[in-house]
Amino acid sequence: MRSPIRIVFEQRNETAKHLSVLVPLLSVVAALVAGALFLLATGYSPIETYSNMLSDGFTSSRGMTDTLGLSTVLICTGISAAFAFQMNLYNIGGEGQLYLGMIGGAWAGLALGDQLPTFVMIPVVLLVGSLAGASWILLPAFVRSRLGTSEIVTTLLLTYIAASLVKHFVYTPGSFFVTKNSAFPQGRLVPDSASLSGIGDTSLYPTFFLVILIALALFWVVKKTEYGYRIQVISDSPRAAHYAGINANRTTMSVMLISGALSGLGGAVLIVGPFGRLDPGIILLGYGYAGIVIAALARNNFSAIIVSGILFAGLRSGGDKLQISTDTPIHIGVMLQGAILLFALGGEAFRRYHIHAVRTERATQ
Amino acid sequence: MNGNIWVLTSADSVAIATTLILAALGALFTERAGVLNLGIEGILLTSAISSFLVADSSGSIWLGLIVGSLVGALLAGIHAVLSVVLRANQIVAGLALVIFGTGLANFLGKPAEGKTVTTLIKPLSFGPLSDIPFVGPIVFRQDPITYASIVIAVLASLYLFRSRPGLELRATGDDPATVDAQGLSVASIRLRYTLFGGLLVGLGGSWLMLAQSAAWHQAATTNGVGWIALALVVFAGWRPIRLIFGAILFGFTLQLPFTLQAEQITFIPSALMQMLPYLATLIALIALSRPSTRSKLGAPKSLGIPFVRDER
Repeated sequence: MRSPIRIVFEQRNETAKHLSVLVPLLSVVAALVAGALFLLATGYSPIETYSNMLSDGFTSSRGMTDTLGLSTVLICTGISAAFAFQMNLYNIGGEGQLYLGMIGGAWAGLALGDQLPTFVMIPVVLLVGSLAGASWILLPAFVRSRLGTSEIVTTLLLTYIAASLVKHFVYTPGSFFVTKNSAFPQGRLVPDSASLSGIGDTSLYPTFFLVILIALALFWVVKKTEYGYRIQVISDSPRAAHYAGINANRTTMSVMLISGALSGLGGAVLIVGPFGRLDPGIILLGYGYAGIVIAALARNNFSAIIVSGILFAGLRSGGDKLQISTDTPIHIGVMLQGAILLFALGGEAFRRYHIHAVRTERATQ
Repeated sequence: MNGNIWVLTSADSVAIATTLILAALGALFTERAGVLNLGIEGILLTSAISSFLVADSSGSIWLGLIVGSLVGALLAGIHAVLSVVLRANQIVAGLALVIFGTGLANFLGKPAEGKTVTTLIKPLSFGPLSDIPFVGPIVFRQDPITYASIVIAVLASLYLFRSRPGLELRATGDDPATVDAQGLSVASIRLRYTLFGGLLVGLGGSWLMLAQSAAWHQAATTNGVGWIALALVVFAGWRPIRLIFGAILFGFTLQLPFTLQAEQITFIPSALMQMLPYLATLIALIALSRPSTRSKLGAPKSLGIPFVRDER
């Protein structure tokens, strides 16, 4: 029955620093190689595809500002996912919370925009969007902390409900969110006071720097504050936390609400920035789902998320332009995203364990 | 009388339940072995488009069904290797599979956009039986895969609770250390059932394409059915027979928005009606997690936990 050689997983006592960097890097390379083989097999040119993605996503100046602009929302959803993941709370409904952030932000912009100046309006739109995002995780957070209902499926189901809500607000004739008397249903643009302009006529908005600051602040909160310490204790050992008198229910609630607010912020960022209106097109973009990949690749480290967020933004923005520059389907970008995460997960094993083959005789007694 | 909209809705609910039964059974087998595969939605999408492409180019819907099912097993194989062999975080691995599968399906689906399958899987006809009021359209006018899915569920129940390998499967999900002590390989059992589960999910996705959808609508082809299937497994308490009834119930919530739209019953806006299946699933999940009912549900005790033998 048993083969003469057995693979042994030996837990590493201390994780080598270089492996923490090497494993994610190698998984990106491995996914690109696998992607190249797939492109070849389906009859597209991998060299042409990749060089176009590289130039449209990173190396051209237009590509770089587009990438940084897109990374703003992806870093939001990335830190949103990581904030929950670090406590083993799997909020995978960031996508839906992002839609709510858009709805809330657009509502605030349209309802208050004519009465308040820009320096008040921008924070108001971002805040209302964040609150709307948090509201969308309130029910999953409540039932998770009180009844133990798994947050995985509940947060995800709410994403589909949020998508219907967006469609309802845009496609209902006479809705508050749409342009009156327009030939086809379209979201109404928020007033100038609620929108920012891109830096130097690019698609990079000042919100990028705000989001970087928030990511760095979270890095500090998790590493240095008592709140961050509490999260660490609960995720490492719920029992130790219980004996230490830490209220796990309350922390669960707050961590999930903050996570929802961060995805909501991502939606509001789109309102003050590139979109300026409630747009059902968001449903096909999957920015919230991308946050899960970004967080996982950065192993929930908030400063690493800035890097992986920009990397994925480049992958997406380079991929999205493929349709124009070549005939390769744009979906290769999303596919590579998933492939990178799959390879990174496999690579985790090599980081955590020292894997080697031994003869069976020695392994069993 | 058999043209009555509610009879037709009930008949369609039983039909649409086919994908739910097959996908949820796939998840059930996987979870009974102790592996949590959240990638169902991605597997459904990829097998759906694969079956479309094969059926479209070969002209054979049956070949489409076979290839679609195998693609399902192949994708589940990725999850199996990651979670069983490499002991990766199963939750993240499943999500990665959803994202990968969605991208892959949309990539492969590019040439299929705007096309439809010319020959669909057709309902069987049982002569006069199919014309019995109420019962005829609901019970005797379904297609072969719908009947097969119910038969598979019944067989799965017998296998799980009345056979030796079924016992071993349940034990692997509950107490892998004991199975290991019996000299059985936990890893091999988990790998096999994860692959088999993927095969069933793949069949469900292919059927959805070749009997229901007929055209490729990107991610809207499955529209979250994979997630409803995962919730359905919890709802059914990891039992195949209960799963059949749960699937028909959830199938009804999937079908109802279309019926109301066709009947022009518009006191609830149609975009809000589309929420119904997800809302119903959400409520069912929350209602079932009251502490008093949870212990009776019978979730596999080692679900999602990698097995590591105590080496002494």
